[in-house]
Amino acid sequence: MTALHTLSLAEVASAIRTKRASSAEVLDACLAAVDRHGARLNALTWIDRDGAQAAAREADAALAAGGPTGPLHGVPLAHKDMYYQAGRPATCGSAILRDHVPAVTATVLQRLRAAGSFAFAGLNMAEFAQNPTGHNAHFGHTRNPWNLDYIPSGSSSGAGAGVAACMTYAALGSDTGGSVRLPASACGVTGLKPTQGRISRAGVMPLSFSADNVGPLARTARDCALVLRIIAGADPADPTASAEPVPDYEAALDGDLRGLRVGVPTNGFLGEGTPVEAAVHAATAVLAARGARLVPILLPYAAAATAYLIVIMRSEGAAVHERWMRTRPADYGPSLSGKIYCGYAIPAPLYVEALRARGPILRAFAAEVFDAVDVIAMPTIPGCLPTLAATDVDAGGAGTPAATEALGVNTRLFNYLGLPAVSLPIGFDPNGLPIGLQIAGRPFAEGRVLKVADAYQRDTDWHRRRPPLA
Amino acid sequence: MDEFSEQASRYIELVYGIAPPNDAALGFLGGLAAAIEQTRALRDRLRFEDEPAGFEVALRDLKEDP
Repeated sequence: MTALHTLSLAEVASAIRTKRASSAEVLDACLAAVDRHGARLNALTWIDRDGAQAAAREADAALAAGGPTGPLHGVPLAHKDMYYQAGRPATCGSAILRDHVPAVTATVLQRLRAAGSFAFAGLNMAEFAQNPTGHNAHFGHTRNPWNLDYIPSGSSSGAGAGVAACMTYAALGSDTGGSVRLPASACGVTGLKPTQGRISRAGVMPLSFSADNVGPLARTARDCALVLRIIAGADPADPTASAEPVPDYEAALDGDLRGLRVGVPTNGFLGEGTPVEAAVHAATAVLAARGARLVPILLPYAAAATAYLIVIMRSEGAAVHERWMRTRPADYGPSLSGKIYCGYAIPAPLYVEALRARGPILRAFAAEVFDAVDVIAMPTIPGCLPTLAATDVDAGGAGTPAATEALGVNTRLFNYLGLPAVSLPIGFDPNGLPIGLQIAGRPFAEGRVLKVADAYQRDTDWHRRRPPLA
Repeated sequence: MDEFSEQASRYIELVYGIAPPNDAALGFLGGLAAAIEQTRALRDRLRFEDEPAGFEVALRDLKEDP
């Protein structure tokens, strides 16, 4: 059998279910990867080896006894350290919550547990999920497994690095402006931001009530579909979680793209003149070979959506952090406290305006775009990945804020519009860092965007490449 | 300090009792001013929903046909 730690989530779940591998063996493979790479990558904030080994033994015993098992029976997983688990740490990458131990467990973790998986570690992240690079002044920066000098991107930095380095088969991250898709792209894995409201956020640290999303990172689109089906759906504990039916996302992954209209933006989103542009064109050619029709489009309202999203994020983030900003401002990283601070200057009517504009802009966007195409394809990050040094805003240096903000120019639009978007690996830049393609679709079209990603992954092997250290 | 940042920081101190935590904070105020300028350009061109809940309705209205 292929080395256990390099299997996809679906493959390892099948291996356990059919007893070709035990949960204990699978856990050992993850822990061995943690031992080999954990210190170098700095992808974890905590690990519970004893608890995980007990959970693995329990899973193996249950399987041996012939009882019912869920789709992820016995699979160890680690998640961004902002998912509350009763009795376990949830540092949120911060000094302020370094010793925080919640009394509740997030709904999505309860659902994954009911499906048979167990959580064994917390994954490092940007402080309070508030940067797109993965820098963290309190726990140290996570590093990109493909080149330790480069950013893993963020804010789900440990999730991207951990999945890429085979420490975990999948991870839950969060995405408010790109924080699942950006690290997925930078680390060469697949990551999904769902439709706003598709997944419950009960028991998950808030950044921005109106724009936060739970989303999976994994090695394949099929793995993301598997996780999504388990965690999506209405939740009495979260009134914003949609009651839209949850389909069998995996069943839709049939590789058939005939007749699908794929919009490729022509107004400055492709990383024009960079190696990313060439990779995107090569990737869309793969989709076309499967029957998709490539349609040039203009993407409207990006500047407006970004501006309004900033208003929403800064306002709501300021509200979340108000008490600590008065009582513990020095316990934040300096650029983060500055970012939160400016939220207090936003007048309430402007914040409400940003919310009231969301529906009209979404409808106008859909009329201009989704009448002509079914999905949109564009790079997740429209340029070569920068180094940790070049984007260390706390260390200062001319250009670091601009280099940092440039990372999210292609992702924030879909956060404001609430649209589902997946990032999948499509190659490498001249520095050997992964390039990601973002596929976005209509509201609640997670099945369609994952279908496109899965179809691409049937004909390519970028998603099977592992960093040299793995 | 530019006028926007100066007035904004006085307002924040008055309403919230929060002083600028560092120089980076004043830089971020400048970025906020730019974002606000973007929204001003839109204001006359958009017809806003009566209330923010229209966004959830739009999401449901615009989903794919089964």
